[in-house]
Amino acid sequence: MSLAFSEILDVTIRSLYVSGLATLLSASWSIPAAYLLSFRRRVGVLEAVVESLVGMPTVLLGLLLYMLLSSSGPLGFLKLLYTPHAIIIGQSILITPLIISTCYRALRVVAAPYLELALSMGASRPQAMMLILRESAPGVAASAVMGFSRAVGELGIAMMVGGNIKGSTMVLTTAIALGVTRGEFEAAIILGIILLALTIATAVSMKILMGVRAL
Amino acid sequence: MPSWRIIAIMVVLATVIAAGSAQMLLPNKVRVRIATTTSLYATGLLDYLAEKFEEEHPNVRLEFIAAGTGAALRYAERGDACMILAHAPSLEKQYIEKRVLENGVIIAYNYFVIVGPNSDPAEINGSSKIIEAFKRIYSAGELGEAFFISRGDLSGTHLREQEIWKRTGLNPAGMDWYRQAAAGMEQTLIIANELSAYSLTDAGTYLRLAREGRVPRLSILYANPEDPDAINIYSAYLVRGCSGDERRYATLFLKFLIENQRMIGGFGKGEYEQPLFHPAEGRLMELEDLWSRLASGMEVDNP
Repeated sequence: MSLAFSEILDVTIRSLYVSGLATLLSASWSIPAAYLLSFRRRVGVLEAVVESLVGMPTVLLGLLLYMLLSSSGPLGFLKLLYTPHAIIIGQSILITPLIISTCYRALRVVAAPYLELALSMGASRPQAMMLILRESAPGVAASAVMGFSRAVGELGIAMMVGGNIKGSTMVLTTAIALGVTRGEFEAAIILGIILLALTIATAVSMKILMGVRAL
Repeated sequence: MPSWRIIAIMVVLATVIAAGSAQMLLPNKVRVRIATTTSLYATGLLDYLAEKFEEEHPNVRLEFIAAGTGAALRYAERGDACMILAHAPSLEKQYIEKRVLENGVIIAYNYFVIVGPNSDPAEINGSSKIIEAFKRIYSAGELGEAFFISRGDLSGTHLREQEIWKRTGLNPAGMDWYRQAAAGMEQTLIIANELSAYSLTDAGTYLRLAREGRVPRLSILYANPEDPDAINIYSAYLVRGCSGDERRYATLFLKFLIENQRMIGGFGKGEYEQPLFHPAEGRLMELEDLWSRLASGMEVDNP
């Protein structure tokens, strides 16, 4: 493959951008949802459903989104198919169960006791919430990192609703898939190493960030 | 709950970032969505042609969605592509009749060849017709001396292979020596190389892989430009449902393809011993005849 440096850079930046935004977007509703969940006493069935959706096959979600966003689909008028936005939306939906369930685990431990403690000491509810989020910050951050690494590593959605268009929707995973179908294994491996390095670097930098804050 | 404020802030933040960078990512150009057979895309021919076309029309972005011909036609039917590049006459005909495709034009052709292990256990090297070669592979397969790897992905190459099998009157489906790769051409050839098996391929894809030294155990064992059953015809179509600016530029690109066939013929000439594609001009009448023959020859199950 004509694996020019500029192309690798382009694909890598797009991957970072698309999955980063998807994570941010997903966190914007998943963390509050997990926060609300952590005060409920009985969440057994809901928890089970959310946890089972963590393993949602990405091609299935991709196919559903394709049918939805296709010109003959109900949301075809939005003209989102084969744009980076479609991938962002898809990935943000994909990682929602993951962020909710991991975030919920981090919050559950501290939520109830800290809320009571804070309120009894005269804190307002927003203050109590800030305290709870601060106490569980490493866990919440870890759930976002897991969400990002699942998003950046998924292939099905990016392929189905992105279309793997060069210069527009080609991301690391779809570029790897293209390399494999073209029999260009060396190029695919290089992209794979970049992908792994990217996810590890994200996780490590987040840990450092959290560590510094905790000190 | 007081958390609504945080929710609101985060939603606003995300929306602002999304909207802001959307402009950056997608410059304000007319998108023309072209669903294409993988063999044209993977050679790099389309990127090369698109670059030339976009030089003339800088406000246009040609977006290629590479898929098997079967999938590409489904995209067209659903209105998710404005133009189609395909090489499966029998399937194309069905979609013309369904009034999905129009303004079809043959832009290029090349040949299907049979590749196989250098030792050629089925002795297809001496066959004069591709049908005869398939029969020999069948016999050798039954004797346990040969394997055949099929694409198995409803691509143009896969459909042609099925048509050839039908014409031999033999049915290899389910045989132990006949395996479906359900993969693109390159992957299928790499599998064939691993298993020392026969496979039907367009010459271009094989030549590219062979030059890169990826399929050392395979060589071209059957190639005959005179065999009408072996011709591989690439056509371009506009999708009926497509309209507006996208259609206008798709029409221009179709015209560009017709007028610049020499570029297609010259592509890859320096790197390979032979051109990967031959321009259709000059042989158009003959190719149209062959196309109709292939299109009406066999009815293929609709995917």
